[in-house]
Amino acid sequence: MRRLPWQVLVALLAGMGIGLAYAWVIAPVRYVDTSPNTLRSDFKDSFRTVIAASYAATHNLDRARARLSLLGDADPVQALTAQAQRMLAAGDSFQVIQNVARLASDLQAGESAGVPASPHPPSSTSSPIPTVSTTAAPSFTPASTPTETATDTEPPPTAVPIVTATARPSATPIPTAAAPFELVSREEICNSNLTSGLMQVSVLDRHRHQMPGIKIDISWAGGEETFFTGYKPEIAAGYADYVMQPGVLYAVRVAGAGSPITDLTAPACPDTGGESYMGGLKLVFQQP
Amino acid sequence: MRSWVIALIAGLAGIAAGVAYGWVINPVKFVDTTPASLRADFRTDYVLMVAEAYHSDHDPELAARRLAVFGSEPPATISGAALNTAGDVGYAPNDVVLLQELSRAMQAYQPAVPTAGSTP
Repeated sequence: MRRLPWQVLVALLAGMGIGLAYAWVIAPVRYVDTSPNTLRSDFKDSFRTVIAASYAATHNLDRARARLSLLGDADPVQALTAQAQRMLAAGDSFQVIQNVARLASDLQAGESAGVPASPHPPSSTSSPIPTVSTTAAPSFTPASTPTETATDTEPPPTAVPIVTATARPSATPIPTAAAPFELVSREEICNSNLTSGLMQVSVLDRHRHQMPGIKIDISWAGGEETFFTGYKPEIAAGYADYVMQPGVLYAVRVAGAGSPITDLTAPACPDTGGESYMGGLKLVFQQP
Repeated sequence: MRSWVIALIAGLAGIAAGVAYGWVINPVKFVDTTPASLRADFRTDYVLMVAEAYHSDHDPELAARRLAVFGSEPPATISGAALNTAGDVGYAPNDVVLLQELSRAMQAYQPAVPTAGSTP
């Protein structure tokens, strides 16, 4: 067998080096015309914040949902809830957090809080929301079918905006966290499987949608604490809990508004052996 | 065949292999991009969201801050470009009005100048 001449080997390797330099450095895959699902996570957070602010202004849930889908989150509600929690931890503006939490809540409920009772007829048209798919489209042409694009290799993603006729309801004021919540249900829970003295709080809006990110102040003789709904989305987006101490009277106020609910204490529950154990409370607050 | 011809062919084959590897097998990945690299229609939709929020809160500083995700371009330039794209794409008239409103506000917007004693 003839040996490969060393010049050929060197030329091959040099050629590969030149080719890689061209492909990676001189003319890499174009880094333009990207889609929102490729954004860095902090920019995705910015996008969600603006989507929520837009939704708070327009109450157009279909449009908000379409926009969120561009970010490629597996579960947009979970992504919004997690973001609201991160914003709470970072001390962001309560109004901004409230917008994000509101959108998560309305998406979960599947309907817009602002839709009912619009005194003005909605417009019949709205602008196209660009969408993302994994197939290539040749140009930027208005179309009425969902055939949009984005790929992570050449060719760079191009897409066609979808024309959707989404109703734009007029602006109905969103209930804000400043509006007082009313205690609509108070129940003593005797369940030995639950943590002793567990106070379960659910916060609902006026449409009975769960509200994450709502601040709850709890106070007692000699102390007070604050906790928030939404930290246990596996139970409910508007759920929060607190473990009460035996024999202590608590007062609870939701969203820093309205009169506190006072004289809350863990009940004594009888067990099957005639003894008693510390039960819990279940409180449901709702905006009127 | 002369050896330099073989070397040339090998070199060209190497270049082709390198480009194929860099473009097809292991191309530059689209991850962690910035809003500045977004396609025009996505940028325009983002600006429309800012315009919708601005129509409600009338806070030009907040709107300018939201537009700043696109980089160092002035907010008036960003909103103006979005307005042009909206016209090209065929946005609904009420959305164009919102973009016009934002564009006007951004043209009039003057960012707060730090005072002499403020920290950088």
